[in-house]
Amino acid sequence: MMKPLRDLLDKLHPHFTEGGRLERLYPLYEALDTFTYTPGEVTGGAPHVRDAMDLKRVMITVVLALLPCFFMAMWNTGFQANSAYALGGGALEGGRAELLQLFGYGADPDSLFDNLLLGASWFVPVYLVTNIVGGMWEALFCIVRKHELNEGFLVTGSLFPLICPPTIPLWQVALGISFGVVIGKEIFGGTGKNFLNPALTGRAFLFFAYPAQISGDRVWTAVDGLSSATPLAVAAEGGQQAVVAAISWFDGFFGTIPGSMGETSALACLFGAAVLILSGIGSWRIMFSGLGGVIFFSTLFMLIGSETNPMFSLAPHWHLVLGGLAFGLVFMATDPVSGAMTEEGQYIYGFLIGTMCILIRVVNPAFPEGVMLAILFGNVFAPLIDQLVLKHHIKRRLRHVEG
Amino acid sequence: MSRDSTGKILSVAFLLCVVCSILVSTAAVLLSERQELNKAEEKRRNILLAAGLYQEGVPLEEQFRRIEARVVDLRSGRFSSDFDPASYDSRAAARNPETRFQIPPKQDLAGIKAHALYQDVYLVKENGRLQQVILPVYGKGLWSTMYGFISLDSDLSTVIGFAFYEHGETPGLGGEIDNPAWKGLWPGKRIYDDQGNTRIEVLKGAVDQQSPEAIHQVDGISGATLTVRGVGNLLQYWMGQNGYRKLLENLAEGVEL
Amino acid sequence: MSQAKDVLLDPLFNKNPIGLQILGICSALAVTSKLETVVVMSLAVIFVICGSNASVSLIRSQIPSNIRIIVQITIIATLVIIVDQFLKAYAFGISKQLSVFVGLIITNCIVLGRAEGFAMKNPVGLSFLDGLGNGLGYSIVLLLVAFFRELLGAGKLLGYTILPSTSEGGWYLPNGLMLLPPSAFFIIGLLIWLLRTWKTDQIEKEN
Repeated sequence: MMKPLRDLLDKLHPHFTEGGRLERLYPLYEALDTFTYTPGEVTGGAPHVRDAMDLKRVMITVVLALLPCFFMAMWNTGFQANSAYALGGGALEGGRAELLQLFGYGADPDSLFDNLLLGASWFVPVYLVTNIVGGMWEALFCIVRKHELNEGFLVTGSLFPLICPPTIPLWQVALGISFGVVIGKEIFGGTGKNFLNPALTGRAFLFFAYPAQISGDRVWTAVDGLSSATPLAVAAEGGQQAVVAAISWFDGFFGTIPGSMGETSALACLFGAAVLILSGIGSWRIMFSGLGGVIFFSTLFMLIGSETNPMFSLAPHWHLVLGGLAFGLVFMATDPVSGAMTEEGQYIYGFLIGTMCILIRVVNPAFPEGVMLAILFGNVFAPLIDQLVLKHHIKRRLRHVEG
Repeated sequence: MSRDSTGKILSVAFLLCVVCSILVSTAAVLLSERQELNKAEEKRRNILLAAGLYQEGVPLEEQFRRIEARVVDLRSGRFSSDFDPASYDSRAAARNPETRFQIPPKQDLAGIKAHALYQDVYLVKENGRLQQVILPVYGKGLWSTMYGFISLDSDLSTVIGFAFYEHGETPGLGGEIDNPAWKGLWPGKRIYDDQGNTRIEVLKGAVDQQSPEAIHQVDGISGATLTVRGVGNLLQYWMGQNGYRKLLENLAEGVEL
Repeated sequence: MSQAKDVLLDPLFNKNPIGLQILGICSALAVTSKLETVVVMSLAVIFVICGSNASVSLIRSQIPSNIRIIVQITIIATLVIIVDQFLKAYAFGISKQLSVFVGLIITNCIVLGRAEGFAMKNPVGLSFLDGLGNGLGYSIVLLLVAFFRELLGAGKLLGYTILPSTSEGGWYLPNGLMLLPPSAFFIIGLLIWLLRTWKTDQIEKEN
C-alpha cells in the first residue's frame, strides 16, 4: 500500500541531488523521506554503537509521552471555560460558537465531548501556529546551511503550545516560537547545539515582552474578561489556607485548575515521566533530584515561616501539583541537549532547578510561578556543572596513576 | 632629566593634578548656579503637574507665583519657620537620625521605615483663600520607592491630582501608574469619609460604580496588583495620623498656623 | 591622507569597537531605551574620546611610562566630570535619565583603550581622528539599538509616536522586553551577526 509513495519519492530524488533543479530544497525532501521511511544509509565507519534509538525515535517517544498532556490541555481548557459559563450564566458568542455548534457543542462542563471540543478550538490554533511558524524557521535555516531537516523541532513544537495560556493571541505565539527557535536554538547552530531549551526561551520572551497576556489573573480561562487566579497566585495572596479553601489537592493532581494549557495535570506528567524513564530518554536523576530540591526547600520555608509572606506556608505536596513544576521537571529540565550530561552533574543540576523554582515562587514578590526561570537558570549552569564534574573525575584518576 | 626618573614622575603627576583640578573646579563653580536652578525647577514642575496647573511654555516662575511653599512639622501639624522651604531636602532629613521619625514596624504601611519629621508642602491660594494643598507622598511599590505629589481640594479630602514623578516599577505593568488614563481616575475621589476615617483605597479589579464606597475607590491595574497595593498603602499612611492628618485638621479648622 | 581616512572610517564598520571588540557594552545596555538619551550619550562619549586622545597624544612624549595609565585616567576623568557638569546645567532632564552612566564613561574601555593603544604612539591630529572615528562607531551601534528599542518598546522615536500604542487608543501593543536592558544584548548580538555575515573576515577562528 505504501509502494506508490516510495516510488514517487524515488522519482523525485534526482531533482534534489547535486545538480538537480531543486538542489537547495534537498533538506525538505530528505525530511519527508526519512520521516516516512527508515534512512537508506547506514553508518559507514567501523566503530559505532549499535542502538535502535536514533534522533527520530527519541523525539517520537517524547511526543508519545506528552499525549496525556495534550488530552488534558484540550479537556481542561474546555472544562474551565464551560464551568465558568455554567457558573456565571454567560455563553460563548461569535464565530467560534457558531463553528462549534456545527459539531454539536452544548457547553456542558460534565460532557467530555463538549469540553474537548471547546478546548480544542483554543488549543489547536496555538498548536498549528507554533508548528507552522517554527517549522518555517527550521526549514529556512536548514536550506541556508544545507543541513538536513531533523525532528528536533517536533518536541519544541509540542512543548511550546502546552505552556501557553489558552487566551494567548496567535501573533504572540508566532513571535514567541520565532524567538525560541532563532535565538534559543538556530543561532547556536541548530538542534543539539543550543544551551537553552527553545520552548522555554520563547515563553520567557513572551513573559517579559507581553506580561499582560501571559501572567496575571485574566488569561487562564478562555472566557472574556473572566478573572481566575491560578492556585499559585491564590497562594501568593493568602497562603495554603486560601488554596485549600479554593481547591482540593486532587484537583491540582488531576489538573482541573486554571493554568497554562498543558501543564496543570501532575498525573499526566507522571505518565510522561514513566515513559521517559522506561525508555531511557529522560534522566531520572534530574527528575528525582529536582523533586528533592523542591521538597527540601519548601519544607525549609514552611518551618521558617513568615508573617508577611503567605507563600512560605505552602507545603511541598502542594508545590508539586500546582503550576508548571511537574511538567517542567519531567519534560523541560530533562531535555538532553540543554541539561547536564554527566551523572553526578545531573543530580546537581536537578537539585539546582528544584531549589531555584521554590526560591522564585516563595521569595520573589512578582512571580508566583518560578519553574520556567528556574530551568533556564539551570540550563545556563549545566555546562559549568559538567565541566566541574569532569575536572573532578580527572583529578581523582590522576591521583590513582600518580599514587 | 629622563622620562622615568622619580623627579619627572612627581612633576608630571603634580602638574597634571593642578591642571585637571583647575578645569574641574572651574566647571563646577561656573555651572553650579544653573544646576541648582534646574533642580528647583524640576521639583516645581512636578508639583504643578500633580496640581493639574502646569502649562507648557509659560515660565515656571510665573506659574508658581500662586503657590506658597511651607515646611510643616508632622508631629504638631503646624508650619515651622526653622527651614527655608526652597532649600529644605526632606529626603536628606529622612536619612539623618536626628531629624527623622522612625516608624514603628506595625504602622509602616508605606514600607519606608523612616521619614523626615518635617515635610515641605505647597498651598495654592487665590486672594488669600486656600484653593488646593499639594503634599509630597512616597512609599514602596513592587520593586522601588515611588515618589509623587497628591493635590487636595479646599475641602481637604477630594483629590484634584495625583502623580508619581519617580519610580522603578516594571514597564507595561506597574509602570502603568504613569498612564494618563489611570491618573485620570483619581480626581474627584475622597480620601476621608464623613466621620473622618481614611478610606481611600485601590481595588484589585474594577470599582463598582453603584456602590456607595465608589467615591473612595480607584480601579486597580491588571497585572500590577502589588504596585497599586503599594500606592493605596502609601496614601493610607501619609493621610493618617503620622502623616498629614494633623496638618489637614488644622487647616480645616482654620487654626492660625 | 589615506591613512587619516582609514583611521577615521575603519572604526565605523571594519573595526567597530562594539561590534568587533565587544567593548563599552555596559552603557549600551543601560541608556538605549530611548533615542534621545542615546544622542546625548553619544555626543558625550565623542567629546571625551576625542579630547582624551588629543590631550594624551599632545603630552605623550612627557608621560613617564610607569604612571601612564594613571595619567590617562586622570585626563579622561576630568573630561567626563566637565561633560557631566555641563549636562546637569544645560540638559537637566536628560542628564537625570542618564544618571550615573555619564560618570561611567570614565570606565568605558573604548576611551582608555584608544588612549593607551593609539594616542600614546601617534600625533595629535591622527589621534583626534581616531577618537572621532571610534566615538562614531560606538554611536552608530547605540543609535541602532535605541532605534529598535524605542520603536518596538514604546512605539515612538525621539518621543514622537510612530506606532500608536493600545494604551493610547492605537493598535500597537508595546513589547515590554524592549524596555528592559537585556533586550539590548539580543539586538547587539543580532547586529554583530549581521555585521559578520557582511564582513566575514571579522569571524573569529575557532580554537
